[in-house]
Amino acid sequence: MNQQQMNGGARRAVFSPVDNRARVDAVVRRIGDAIELGLLADGEQLPGESELAGQLGVSTVTLREALMALRQQGLLTTRRGRGGGSFVSLPEVPGEERLKVRLRGWSTEELRDLGDHWAALSGTAARLAAERTEPDDLLQLRRTAEELAWAEDAAARGRVYGRFHVELAAAAQSARLTREQVALQTEVGALLCLVLADDEYREEVADRHRSVISAVQDGAHETARGLAERCVRESTARLIALRLTL
Amino acid sequence: MGLATAALGTAPEESVAAEVGSALESVFDAVSATRAETTALLTRVAAEHRRPATVDLAALRPGLHLRLARNALVSGVGFVAAPGLLGDVPAWLEWWQSGAEGDVRPLLLDLDPDHSAYADYTHWDWFALPRDTGERAVAGPYVDYLCSDEYSLTLSAPVETEGRFAGVAAADVYLRHFEAAVLPLLRRLPGPAHLVNARGRVAASADPAHLAGSLTKGPDFAAVLESARPARHDGLRLVPCRGVPLVLVASPR
Repeated sequence: MNQQQMNGGARRAVFSPVDNRARVDAVVRRIGDAIELGLLADGEQLPGESELAGQLGVSTVTLREALMALRQQGLLTTRRGRGGGSFVSLPEVPGEERLKVRLRGWSTEELRDLGDHWAALSGTAARLAAERTEPDDLLQLRRTAEELAWAEDAAARGRVYGRFHVELAAAAQSARLTREQVALQTEVGALLCLVLADDEYREEVADRHRSVISAVQDGAHETARGLAERCVRESTARLIALRLTL
Repeated sequence: MGLATAALGTAPEESVAAEVGSALESVFDAVSATRAETTALLTRVAAEHRRPATVDLAALRPGLHLRLARNALVSGVGFVAAPGLLGDVPAWLEWWQSGAEGDVRPLLLDLDPDHSAYADYTHWDWFALPRDTGERAVAGPYVDYLCSDEYSLTLSAPVETEGRFAGVAAADVYLRHFEAAVLPLLRRLPGPAHLVNARGRVAASADPAHLAGSLTKGPDFAAVLESARPARHDGLRLVPCRGVPLVLVASPR
């Protein structure tokens, strides 16, 4: 078997069309999450199609498909003519219902994979932080763990949860892990609101964060890693369980 | 002969520490210039019996752009207002950064606490240290996930107006640029050497056993900085860098 044959399958995959569906889904998630998180306000006009496509780095065809999906979810309306365009429109259904619609856009396999990526990032960050952190570096993590314990609305809980994991990556002194974690939290942040709305679970997460901090402070590398991974896995498992009820 | 060598042996370390100090002193020059312009601006606005607004801070831009262009170590520079200083927004960073293509761009942050988990910047060392001590400060090395996403040092100094704390003038130095500036100095020394901050965090290193971002444990570096005099610890020479809170840790060859 020559090199050409051996790599035949892989080569075909390289030159097969880039999955347009995945790009559409990514745009839908990005804009949808921004609307859910309040980054785009009700009634706000989105930039024109070609400008927006350029900013997002997708073709206008992909963008149009995504905008159509967002219209179907009731998150955008389109007005024609002069002064027309796409406008953010928050539907009258409660935020939780809209988030469930968003969660339905994820397969359980995608959620599982997201959880694997997240656990890899936060587990490694916790282990490195245990090596590289001294008590003063933990002040921000402690502050965030306590903030989660009293954050009232679900959206704030999701944001603070994400910030804990970003700060953990920063405590590891790794700019790359931190950037990856920030990017991951922009994907998962809105969804986490769904599981954090439950006060009991919110309390559990706050406790898990506190125990990660203690292990980091004690320099217990592997314990810190294990605790951070467990915290992330548990959240992902809850998201997947919820997804299966939809 | 032996005595003379020992006496001379300290000289190269002290000169390296002094040169590291001067490299960062040039960054503090950018901070001081920003501080002076901001103070003058705020004084001018106060004389008009009104509160400053974001539009007033736009007058700082030519100076900020100049400092980014002139000092290769400076990748971000600006004034960070104390919350409540400005009349039109609760909080603000008049902050400019060098882009990858040599362009200069403003940092635009979402500082609305209803949207952003990162809206409160007052706990970061580069803000809190000058506010609490009234002195200039060097924060880091730390991962700056607020402004640049880079592993950085931030040099800052308090800005006061009418005797009250108004915010900080600051400049960012990315660690990779700092390393490029100081590595040739460290490599002049006969043995492995590295630089740490007051907490023992390695800021730059020519020693594979001590990598940037790791902690050097054992010596009390804060005490060395406090005394401003060289010290020894387990055969290591600890030399404070003049004027900046970094300590040169040098091993004999």
